[in-house]
Amino acid sequence: MVRYQRGDREAFALLVKRYNKQVYNFVLRQLRTPALCEDVTQEVFMRLVQNAAEFKHEARFSTWLYAIARNLCIDQLRRLQHRRHPSLDQPLGGDDGRTLGDSIATQHPSASAERAAVSSEVQVSILKAVDALPDDQREVFLLREIADLPFRDIAEITGVPENTVKSRMRYALDRLKQALCEFEEYARALR
Amino acid sequence: MDCEKFDRIVLDLMYGELDELTEAAAKRHIEHCSRCKGVSSGLRATREVGALTLVDPPPGLELGILEAERRLNAKLPLKKKLGRGVSILAVYAMRPQLAMAALLLLMIGSSLFFLRGRSGARDSVLITEHGVPETEAEHVAIRPAPARAVEAAPLASAMPKLASAKSEAPAARERDGDKPSEPVAELDATKESDLKGAANEAEALPGTEPAADSMDAASAAFQGGRYVEAQRRFEEIAARGGSEAPAAALQAVEALRRQRGCPAAAPRYEEVHSRYRDTPSGNEAAWQAGDCYRALGELSHARQSLEALLEVAEYRSRAEAALQELTAREAQVASARKAKAAAPAGATPVPASPPAAAAPAKPRVDVSQ
Repeated sequence: MVRYQRGDREAFALLVKRYNKQVYNFVLRQLRTPALCEDVTQEVFMRLVQNAAEFKHEARFSTWLYAIARNLCIDQLRRLQHRRHPSLDQPLGGDDGRTLGDSIATQHPSASAERAAVSSEVQVSILKAVDALPDDQREVFLLREIADLPFRDIAEITGVPENTVKSRMRYALDRLKQALCEFEEYARALR
Repeated sequence: MDCEKFDRIVLDLMYGELDELTEAAAKRHIEHCSRCKGVSSGLRATREVGALTLVDPPPGLELGILEAERRLNAKLPLKKKLGRGVSILAVYAMRPQLAMAALLLLMIGSSLFFLRGRSGARDSVLITEHGVPETEAEHVAIRPAPARAVEAAPLASAMPKLASAKSEAPAARERDGDKPSEPVAELDATKESDLKGAANEAEALPGTEPAADSMDAASAAFQGGRYVEAQRRFEEIAARGGSEAPAAALQAVEALRRQRGCPAAAPRYEEVHSRYRDTPSGNEAAWQAGDCYRALGELSHARQSLEALLEVAEYRSRAEAALQELTAREAQVASARKAKAAAPAGATPVPASPPAAAAPAKPRVDVSQ
């Protein structure tokens, strides 16, 4: 980011390469509307370009970037508040009858061999469980799991105390545990 | 560590955000606490099972972002581009190295500002006489010889005129048939006009301004009624010695007389006379001393001063006349004393001297009598 602030255009390409996948997934899980994710992700990086001079390096770059992404997602969610968004169980429209959840579950290219063997049902269940989380808990969960931000930075982005962030994360994990209890034996077997 | 504290840090433990000591303590607690061990393993299992798999973004997203960035930069107005350039420069300017360099330059600049300027031509050297308390006024300026000659010319022309005017005044009076014992004010007027003429002559030369330690400056102070300053300047010139010293010493006493009258000036006139005995200024000092003593009624001191002038041709006639007058006054005083001794009651004493116009202070006590 320092290089880009000095006018190095190639540094921006590196930033995009490094963060676009995570940002895209964060936006995807937040909006749950794949059609908007690409535009919103692009808008995140455009905001970065427009406000690059204002970044003072007082916080981590990833924290700043996800704060932009979060704010854009909140704006989009407000716009979509009264719109119907596609469900994970909604058919994609193809002849094979696959749903959105199926599509997301099978798009993961870097899953381990063991994970690859798990049926798409598990992945759909996970996504459904995450989707079912309250907004504040899902937000914390995604920032922790996708963006890999520490709790302190999540607290800074969301504007709540760090202990509140941890509580939300704990509640989110408890909910996921309840939703995924049937796969717990599988998880134990992985260890 | 207890279970309550473990519950607070279990998430930090799971995500590796604990410091080493706390993490070790938490792990030790888990080994002994089955409840906390269950909590920890349950959360870990949930996290592992529920780990989200990242979806690859659409292939064109990265290129689309880069293209959008290129378009955005191309569409930026000139003002925005300038602002971005300033921001880039500001990023450089905010670096600690530049800040330290700027601070250093500021310090050097301010130090240069406060340094005292040195004379570039080195045409003067400040010399402080040993054994004398250092004051700014006692600095002596030694200048190159040609400049000195040019500057000394008006002074040299002024000072002899000043001295000669005093010495020529009695002779002129004598030639004109005036009485030599005219009031002091007349003589003072003559001297003042001479001083003014000398000052004007000095000012007439273009490009020559009176130095702070010159006779011109002292004379100007005298003419301006700044007698304290004039006395100080004349005394400084007299202390330096040289050809100007007698006239300066005399003028210093004149300035003192203007301030404190004859009681203070009379003994100083005597000093000037004794120091510069054979000079016109010394003779004039003797005459002025006699004049002051006569005004003060100290007739014996007046006689001594006037008798010293009998050997000076220019003052002889005036001194003789003054001595005759003194003799008459002494006789008058003696007769008055006799009359007072004969009729102490009801007799009005004859005043010993006429009212001293130039003696505003109380009469001087003559210890020699």
